[in-house]
Amino acid sequence: MSNPPAGSERPGSSDDFGNAIPLTTKIANLVIAVVLIAIAASAIAATSDFPKSMLAADVGAARFPIIHSGALILLCLILIANTLRAPTAPAADGQARVGIAGYAGVALGMLATAACIAAMEHVGYGPATAVYMAVIMALMGQRSPVWNPVLAVGVTALVYGVFHYMLQVPLPVGSLFE
Amino acid sequence: MHELDLLMGGFATLASNPLALLLALVGVALGIVIGALPGLTATMGVAILLPFTFGMDPVSGLLMISGVFFGGVYGGSVTAILLRIPGTPAAAATAMDGFELTRKGMAGVALGTATLSSFLGGTASIIVLIFMAPILAGFALEFSAPESFALAVFGLSIIASISGRSVIKGLIAGFLGLLIATVGMDPMDGFPRFTGGYTELFNVPFIPVMIGLFAAAEAFKTLEDPKVRLGMAAALGRILPDWPTYRRMLGTVARSSGLGIVIGIIPGAGADIAAYVAYNEAKRFSRTPENYGKGELAGVAACEAGANGCTGGALLTMLTLGIPGDAVTAVMLGALTLQGLQPGPLLLKDHADLVFTLFAGMLFCYVAMLVIGLGSLRFMGRVLQMPKSVLTPVILVLCIVGTYAINNSLFDIGIMLAAGVAGYFMQKWDFPASPVVLALIMGPMAEANFRRALSLSGGSYDFLYTRPITVVLLSVAILTLLLPLVKRWRAHRMESRRPGATSPQNQA
Repeated sequence: MSNPPAGSERPGSSDDFGNAIPLTTKIANLVIAVVLIAIAASAIAATSDFPKSMLAADVGAARFPIIHSGALILLCLILIANTLRAPTAPAADGQARVGIAGYAGVALGMLATAACIAAMEHVGYGPATAVYMAVIMALMGQRSPVWNPVLAVGVTALVYGVFHYMLQVPLPVGSLFE
Repeated sequence: MHELDLLMGGFATLASNPLALLLALVGVALGIVIGALPGLTATMGVAILLPFTFGMDPVSGLLMISGVFFGGVYGGSVTAILLRIPGTPAAAATAMDGFELTRKGMAGVALGTATLSSFLGGTASIIVLIFMAPILAGFALEFSAPESFALAVFGLSIIASISGRSVIKGLIAGFLGLLIATVGMDPMDGFPRFTGGYTELFNVPFIPVMIGLFAAAEAFKTLEDPKVRLGMAAALGRILPDWPTYRRMLGTVARSSGLGIVIGIIPGAGADIAAYVAYNEAKRFSRTPENYGKGELAGVAACEAGANGCTGGALLTMLTLGIPGDAVTAVMLGALTLQGLQPGPLLLKDHADLVFTLFAGMLFCYVAMLVIGLGSLRFMGRVLQMPKSVLTPVILVLCIVGTYAINNSLFDIGIMLAAGVAGYFMQKWDFPASPVVLALIMGPMAEANFRRALSLSGGSYDFLYTRPITVVLLSVAILTLLLPLVKRWRAHRMESRRPGATSPQNQA
């Protein structure tokens, strides 16, 4: 499952020149390209509301977003063309596949993070972070009824001490305790 | 030789002031911690410590701040290498190869190389600052809006070489980053663009995006594989690279340090730009460029030497011209003024003894950074001995708290989470994250300086081809952008012409 790192390349193995691509990657490429085209087109549409610059020599606030969006649309169209042109390869053997449980773990981790941010606004840093840590540890397979709470509270307190006392960074108190 | 005498005098003065040495040590140690924590940058560290220096003598106060500055730039590399959490924007470049080395069980050598290269780059920059300050200060004055625009374009052209398997996907990530970089206040008229009415978006939320794309995305990825959840993160291995290995990197370190010093001198350009440019040049000059991005030790050395080389360059223009090279030196400018010193051409003349004592102290700070850095690596590396089931939640908590610390804003944590989710899917489908970060650094610089240059030239585009530095930088940028494409096209042609060659299968 490990992806090739940024900057890695094998001569002739790039995605750019019509090499065979697995079906899942093809679908992902097409979906991402379409989503990005939609975002770029919306950005171009939004620039119509931008005012003209007060300086006669200036290109205005809209010029650069339009250039970037235009280039993004063009590149996405190239990606779509390359993807459609490339033959479909069977899924690579030897690559660990992520099952439903794996994706569920990731989704739950993301949801737990969102919940932690929402809870932090109301109950503050301490309770929200301690519970969040215990939940993520449980998701990672660490399910000790003793160690999970101890570690969660300990790490939360340590981080609080470093940021609040040592670095003078105030952490959220929570609207319920203000 | 006059400077050498003054420097020796500075060392003698410093030796008689043990408090200043102690505070320099404290500053370096604090800087490393601040740099290593996500969200906390050297600028923030210097700003936090500034009030504590009010009651100190100028040498002690300024050395403590310098220690935080130097330690902060270096400290970012520790978590970037060990955990793929870039503590500072410059460390995002280090993370590209540093974390790959950790995956290979070579975290110790990567950290040792980063420490040695940071020390060499930083020390070289201070030596240049001592002996060549008046000569190089004039170079900074040659840089106005057109040159800064060209430098930003050159920086952006690096996207092609850090794009991974697909240049198209790298460019898509880069232009997406450039589009995100336009969110916020328009640099000329102050018109809010794409902010949706949120005042939190008036400035580009660059650091939350960086933390999300790198650290949170990596943590989310760990959640997907049940086999690795309870395993150990990685082995640390040996700390120092063997001498023949490091000797081969000395040329890269020297080149990167030089680039860092020059970029540091340019007002508005900082360690982040220096790290990426140094990385790109190291890859360009390498005999094995294909190893970059897969865990190349020279890539780590280049980024760290470049980033720390910037420190002396940034101090140079601040001390000799009163122009801060980056945000940290802007805060340091305030510290100097508070101590009754007026940075500018007369500083070296009127306060030569004090300034050269500071220079001696800065060299001491770098030695202290080397000793503290190497001495603590084994301890810091113990983080890798933690089970992933504990390490991943700790990383996520640090991402949340570090992001919050930037502006005391929960909104920023939301942005970090969104970037983390996007980064997870980008990793999954081979869209590299580094071009987005690079675009977020360079995009605002390119736009602001282009529009400023255009306004200054009365709407004429002549500045693009009439100014020598601009022409050179733009030409190099075009070459940097096109060369990887041409190389890949040629490699593909050779591959397809080979008799019996089959299309290599693409990996998602």
